[in-house]
Amino acid sequence: MHGEVINIQGLINRIIESSFIDGPGNRLVVFMQGCNLNCIYCHNPETQKECCLCGICAESCPAKALSIADNKIIYLKDLCQFCDRCLQVCPYYSSPKYFRMNTSELSNYILKHHEFLNGITFSGGECTLQTPFIIEVSQKVKSNSPLTVFLDTNGYVHQSDWELICNHVDGLMVDLKAFNSHTHQYITGADNSFILENIKYASGQGLLYEVRTVILKGINDTENEINQISNFIKELNNYTFFKLISFRPYGIKHPLKDTVYPDKNHFEKLFQIAKTVLGERVKKSLDISL
Amino acid sequence: MEKIYQIITNTNLDFKDKRHLLCLEAENSLPYPNISQKAQTYLEEGTICDLFEGHAPYRPRYILPDYLKFIKQGSEYLNISPPKNLFEAINALLVIYKFVPSITGYPVYLGQIDDLLEPFLSTVSPREVENLLRLFLTNIDRTLPDAFVHINIGPSDSQVGRLILWLEKELKHSIPNLSLKYSPETPDDLALQAIETALVTGKPYFVNHQELANDLGKDYAIASCYNTLLIGGGSHTLVRLNLKQVAENSNDYDDFINHKLPEAISLLVEIINARAKFIVEKAKFFETSFLAKEGLIDLSKFTSMAGFFGLYEAVKLLTELNMGKDGEAEKYALEITSRARELLDSYTGLYCGGYCNKIGFHAQSGIDTDIEVTAGVRIKYGEEPLLYEQIILEGKLHPYFNAGISDIYTFDLTAKENPEGLLKIIKTAMKKGIRIFALTTTDSEFVRVTGYLVKKTDIEKYHRGELLREDTVKLGADSIRNNETLKRRVFGKS
Repeated sequence: MHGEVINIQGLINRIIESSFIDGPGNRLVVFMQGCNLNCIYCHNPETQKECCLCGICAESCPAKALSIADNKIIYLKDLCQFCDRCLQVCPYYSSPKYFRMNTSELSNYILKHHEFLNGITFSGGECTLQTPFIIEVSQKVKSNSPLTVFLDTNGYVHQSDWELICNHVDGLMVDLKAFNSHTHQYITGADNSFILENIKYASGQGLLYEVRTVILKGINDTENEINQISNFIKELNNYTFFKLISFRPYGIKHPLKDTVYPDKNHFEKLFQIAKTVLGERVKKSLDISL
Repeated sequence: MEKIYQIITNTNLDFKDKRHLLCLEAENSLPYPNISQKAQTYLEEGTICDLFEGHAPYRPRYILPDYLKFIKQGSEYLNISPPKNLFEAINALLVIYKFVPSITGYPVYLGQIDDLLEPFLSTVSPREVENLLRLFLTNIDRTLPDAFVHINIGPSDSQVGRLILWLEKELKHSIPNLSLKYSPETPDDLALQAIETALVTGKPYFVNHQELANDLGKDYAIASCYNTLLIGGGSHTLVRLNLKQVAENSNDYDDFINHKLPEAISLLVEIINARAKFIVEKAKFFETSFLAKEGLIDLSKFTSMAGFFGLYEAVKLLTELNMGKDGEAEKYALEITSRARELLDSYTGLYCGGYCNKIGFHAQSGIDTDIEVTAGVRIKYGEEPLLYEQIILEGKLHPYFNAGISDIYTFDLTAKENPEGLLKIIKTAMKKGIRIFALTTTDSEFVRVTGYLVKKTDIEKYHRGELLREDTVKLGADSIRNNETLKRRVFGKS
């Protein structure tokens, strides 16, 4: 299938040339546009949907950097003040700034500075919605460099697609929003049974680099929840990291936008519970550990 | 006399500051070494700057004693016998440091400390090793309160090197400055430990050992701020040329390259050689110093240094191109640098035997009074391109500078989660030709100013008018304001 398709286009929200928190080493991160979950705390709501050309962002742009012409949103980066007003006013969880690149363009962009990188990570949105694009970029990058390819994914993918993409990547960081299925349903609008099965499969393939859980006050921050996830990971293998991430009220449009941080002491307690089960394989987001 | 009275009665200075300034006043009461009227004019206008070294230099600016020789033979002058254990070795070093002159009065080079102390580790218990090194570093911080004071470690692995890194991370002292000579033989876990220390303290520098050893031989060291000089030698003087000002005085690019730059460099050499001649022939430093008499320094290993700064502005003024943004600017930056090196090398450096009778070519990293002119051949702070592109451009410029060059790269605090990522960047930077890589983080308690470190809390104390032990805090506080140090682009932010 992939040998025949040579230049698929991808929808990309943004690219970060260097990240130290999206997998091992120094990584270029490609944030893909579009998501299949609707998490109540989404930190990047502007990555969820495609633009419907409503024009609300263009009307509210103070720099006049946005307009609509020929059924397309026109974004003039040179005029942009990067105030993010467009993202705030968009009622459809999209962005006027995402763009299209074909696989050759993206792989060439990645390869330009590959000597400085350990690898690349596809994030989002939900990157696996653009699996053919990712596979083609992965093939082009890997055949021309020693870079590794990782995905930061919610794991909410049909089994056959999951198995396919697992054949083309070197590691996965999977968000597990909650172990309890009701809690998961509440947070994401979807059941987690798919996700748990996919995590098990990735683990068996030696690809499950990290499981990540965002701690939400009063929702998934029980000792039992963290204990269950920790034991789930422990039973899977002896290599996967578990990262606890503190909820941050940034970029949030959903009901949690006014929520305060989880209590630091409680977060630390959850961290210690996970450590009891997984030892040094537990990590936490930096803003808490400072 | 009025100025001397002002120094003596100035309540913002303590005893050691007053003594230093009074010495300088005494020196400056003499006429400047014999130089032409034109050279004098360049100095007065600031196109050439002698960094306030004084009118009648009586000691070299930078001295790098051969401490290994000192440890082996002791010193008759200091009445120190060759040390037999770690206690005696550390005591011997702490004694000699007080007798090593420099332009600030404090020694700018404290030795390749792993080579010096590793042979003595078996003479005491592991607990005593740790305690002694802790006291050694604390003594240096308290008694040599000058952030130009510099220790070297690496490139080979050593217990001492690892302990120094571990203790520096724990002690969080701004003094001494620290360099890790880095090469492919340096183990990754040692490099990672150095990165973890640097992410907290802003030190060590990562020094491209292969490049420098190819240029200078293996017996080189880093002293003060990024100066690469020979052990057992040093530099008589450092006089710098403001390329921005030379460009302002030029009619166009051709005039700059073919007339104004050659003239400026001839005057720069004239001043440098006059100063070196005065130190050697009038002050007769090498005939009066016990360091020379006992063979710990040798005039034949010395050089002088010509510093260059303001390349960014020179390119902009002459071509309207921005280094780091406009691809074509690179061509001019390289051409100016290459031309300056070629011109400097066309002259004989007096008493520069350590550098084959040439004056060392140095990218001067700025001083506190520099305003709207960029250090060395760096890209203006806040105007840096993507880090990778910055490194590729600077990596082409660094190989020209045999007497020291660097840049300081600022990383987002998330780098602390992933030192392996930083190691990848450093390794590639070295391959691209970067000679000295200094790093800091946005949340660091330390600010790497031009080449030295100051603590943010000390800067606050200085601004409150408190008297401080470290003489470099005032320089740092003024530099941060004038050089716009905190505008450096942050990398790795997601």
